[in-house]
Amino acid sequence: MIKELTTKPLHTLLLALADDEFILGYRNSEWTGIAPMLEEDVAFSSMSQDEIGHARLFYQMLEAETGTSADKIAYARQPEEFLCCRLMEHRRLDWAHAIARQFLYDTADHVRLEALTRSSYDPLRNAADKIIREEKYHLLHGDMWMNRLAMLSEDSRSRLVASLEILWPDALGVFEPLPGEADLVADGTLPSTMADLQIEWLAQIAPYFYNLNLPFPAEQDPETRQYRATVQPVYGGRRGEHTEEFTELWTEMTSVYRLDPEAIW
Amino acid sequence: MPVFEVFTQPRMGKPFEHGGNVVAPDPELAVLYAREFYGRRQESARIWVVPREAIMEIKDPDLLNPPAVDRSYRSVAGYSVRDTLRATRGTVIGSQQPD
Amino acid sequence: MDDPNRVAEFTAYVQKGGKVEVGDWMPEEYRLGVLKFVEMHANSELMGVLPEREWINRAPTLKRKLALTAKIQDEAGHAELLYRVAEDLGKTRQQMLEDLMAGKTKFHNVFHYPTFNWGDVAVIAWLVDAAAIQSQKALLDSSYAPYARTMQKICWEESFHIKHGYDMIITMMNGSKLQRDMVQDALNRWWAPLVMFHGPPTPIEKDRDLYYRIKAKYNGVLRQEFLSKYIPKIFELGLTIPDPDLHFDTAANEWRYTEPDWNELKSVVTGHGPMSQQRLEFRRLNYADTQWVRNVLLGEAA
Repeated sequence: MIKELTTKPLHTLLLALADDEFILGYRNSEWTGIAPMLEEDVAFSSMSQDEIGHARLFYQMLEAETGTSADKIAYARQPEEFLCCRLMEHRRLDWAHAIARQFLYDTADHVRLEALTRSSYDPLRNAADKIIREEKYHLLHGDMWMNRLAMLSEDSRSRLVASLEILWPDALGVFEPLPGEADLVADGTLPSTMADLQIEWLAQIAPYFYNLNLPFPAEQDPETRQYRATVQPVYGGRRGEHTEEFTELWTEMTSVYRLDPEAIW
Repeated sequence: MPVFEVFTQPRMGKPFEHGGNVVAPDPELAVLYAREFYGRRQESARIWVVPREAIMEIKDPDLLNPPAVDRSYRSVAGYSVRDTLRATRGTVIGSQQPD
Repeated sequence: MDDPNRVAEFTAYVQKGGKVEVGDWMPEEYRLGVLKFVEMHANSELMGVLPEREWINRAPTLKRKLALTAKIQDEAGHAELLYRVAEDLGKTRQQMLEDLMAGKTKFHNVFHYPTFNWGDVAVIAWLVDAAAIQSQKALLDSSYAPYARTMQKICWEESFHIKHGYDMIITMMNGSKLQRDMVQDALNRWWAPLVMFHGPPTPIEKDRDLYYRIKAKYNGVLRQEFLSKYIPKIFELGLTIPDPDLHFDTAANEWRYTEPDWNELKSVVTGHGPMSQQRLEFRRLNYADTQWVRNVLLGEAA
């Protein structure tokens, strides 16, 4: 199915954007009913709905391009046809892990969206404009929790640090170069390369980590002053390479759909 | 944990209404949660969040609704224009008011 | 002991429609009565999340996924609103959660039963929510004003739940045989719990919640309202109801049905339902797992 869906690099981009949001939304809704406080049940659920809503927007753009319905795009593919980055695949662990993942993704996504607000492709530019405003809430929530976990106790700090260490390599994967990216940059659909966006992201969040005295696995090149990661990024997501955890997720996610793919629900 | 009362303005320019309250360990989180419980469905144009301890209440009915003295002089219901016209018509000089 | 004159004055006041606010003087029996009532309501909203939450991840379309997430979010939100009301009556949320998890307090019967398929999700969203809304509307005029106001907010938020539920049911009943069978199967299992939902026919004179106008309608009345409204709709869809004795008594203007086993209800709500212990255990485990977060926010007082 993926071959019909990604006949142009634009499609690959839309699918990657959609899948990132869709799978993160899935993970976030796993906290429903079991967050540390009811208030956070509601907050995480709002973010999850935002994410699935954004995924739907991107799937609908792909529908407009290819004629395949958004629901079919979301539900009818095999696991290896998903282009989400590996950050989303980790199953729900503890709260520090959830906050760390959310923060890394939301700040990275912010840089990506900001670039897309300058995209030459109208639907994407319009969508990015709207989405970036909704994401304000996520950044606010993430900021509040990162601060509290980092500063309120030794226990919470050590949990946060441990989670960040696990997640950094996968977070860098948000900016894995996309297949066909050169064309997208050439025609302005993607105003910067993923590699450049990654550098921008690291520069943007570096002060945040220094202020909170959290380990930051990147350093500045002494001449260019550009940040580069000091850990190996985990790539492969944009090429459909996923883990066992993702297959489990996919099996659950499509279980009702697969009972009768032709049914209207 | 301290309680924060939440006041919502359903549409721009309208009076603020008491929506309810939230608990939070600090004011920052109180504001975040007020948005969740009183604004996540786009039901508010604006929200005020106030620590409960900042609110002073008057509820004594003797202060708010004292019964004894006639105070109709300061309410709309205390004035009947028709009665006044009837009583004064005869004494208005030069008036040719119709009946 | 409360001064009997004061209690009499208070009782006359609420029975005539008077409203009580946080911090007002109230008889101890009233305070405990409202607290128990609201606490059970809060517990029910909280436990109601559990049968449904696993289905968010399995929702078969983007729209259904979003709608179900929003619905369940509301339920968690309602639990919070209700625990807030109860907390202002003198019991901490922590204590209420601990009592719930220890099996010392109750929650509504319907949340003690398992869900098997997407048909359950649709039936719960339509009929369980409908039964709940029937009760909730009758609480809009509760003498305890913070509770009444919370009911208004809850009713407003729930208005889309029933529409969403009904939409799912209609879609499936107009779909494939697999889907129609799923709905009928779910209804067959949920019918008895639904008939029990509004509670046993307690003698009105013994109902202290009615006495103090904490609630305004008698259980039996709520049940008849629910049945009158929804039985015709169920039949309209081509579904059958698994009660051979179900019929409308035109003389009495009431639905007649096989009398539920009220002992079963009592047993279920005291923690002996098919899923009661499993769900409470799930809550306990998660609460323990996240204790460190509450400790961080509140200091060791959490």
